[in-house]
Amino acid sequence: MGVKVHIHTTHRQFTNGAEVVEVEGQTVGECLEHLIHQYPAMEKALFAKKGKLLNHVEVYLNHASAYPDELLKPVKDGDEIHLVLMLAGG
Amino acid sequence: MLTRGERERYDRQIMIGEIGTEGQEKLKRSCLAIAGAGGLGSPIAFYLTAAGIGKLRIIDHDEVTLSNLNRQILHWEEDIGRKKVDSAKWKLEKLNSTIQIEAIAETINETNASALFEGCDAILDAMDNLPTRYVLNRCSIEKGIPFIHGAVYGFEGRVMTVLPGKSACLRCLYRGTLPPEKFPVIGVVPAVIGCIQATEAIKYLLGIGTLLTNRFLLYDGLELTFNEFAVERNPDCDHCGSIPSKE
Repeated sequence: MGVKVHIHTTHRQFTNGAEVVEVEGQTVGECLEHLIHQYPAMEKALFAKKGKLLNHVEVYLNHASAYPDELLKPVKDGDEIHLVLMLAGG
Repeated sequence: MLTRGERERYDRQIMIGEIGTEGQEKLKRSCLAIAGAGGLGSPIAFYLTAAGIGKLRIIDHDEVTLSNLNRQILHWEEDIGRKKVDSAKWKLEKLNSTIQIEAIAETINETNASALFEGCDAILDAMDNLPTRYVLNRCSIEKGIPFIHGAVYGFEGRVMTVLPGKSACLRCLYRGTLPPEKFPVIGVVPAVIGCIQATEAIKYLLGIGTLLTNRFLLYDGLELTFNEFAVERNPDCDHCGSIPSKE
């Protein structure tokens, strides 16, 4: 049993349509690394550079904001990560 | 006091136990600011006008274009080229002549925000870009008035209510900013989000129900799901971190 990452609709083109991807890791950052290991195209969709998320990417751990220092947040088996994109239209 | 006409107009909502005559009188005494008269501003303004908010201040510098009409239902073909706030005021006064509509054709910025929102009980976010939302967020914190955030993109939308000093603000949630952009949207999405924002405003004015504070609601129109995420005040937030807690 690992950690479930919920993929945003617009990112599913990079995960072969998968809505949820099972990953492993001790932190959010490690989980996202494992996600990228499985689906390399997710790297550009999430990161501006190594260790720095794009401004419009938000991370929620077990339905709570992981901001700030999202990548350092510890996770355990059964946790859920939601990748959400900031919206700015009106 | 409500007039006989107002009692008849608002009869169905006065019947709601949480509103009643006293609540309707509160709405009549209230002033709400709507920042933006576009996709989100349209449903917000229509429903708050219909609900009998005593004074609505609508602020938007823009003019109506043909490409607005897929979502900005305040504006019609005959309004193309008119100031959005003038178009809005005309429609809203036709809907409810007993309330006051203030139309302000200005661009909201750090310099004028405080004056623009003076005397308002809450600010409703109907902007189309993040930088101005941050201006509204900061202004609401400085003035100690609620900020009801809404945003849309494509089939997605989100809402969060900020009570300065009591709940997480917009800046507690976001890492940075994004430059203004032309965004995809279909009118039914701001319709959903704007109505939720208007609901939050009415609940706040009446002191009823549970506000969307310290949580934000994410709407996915394609999947037809609502997800809720918890948010906490960030003590290092550069907008509200220095504001003492009012819990």
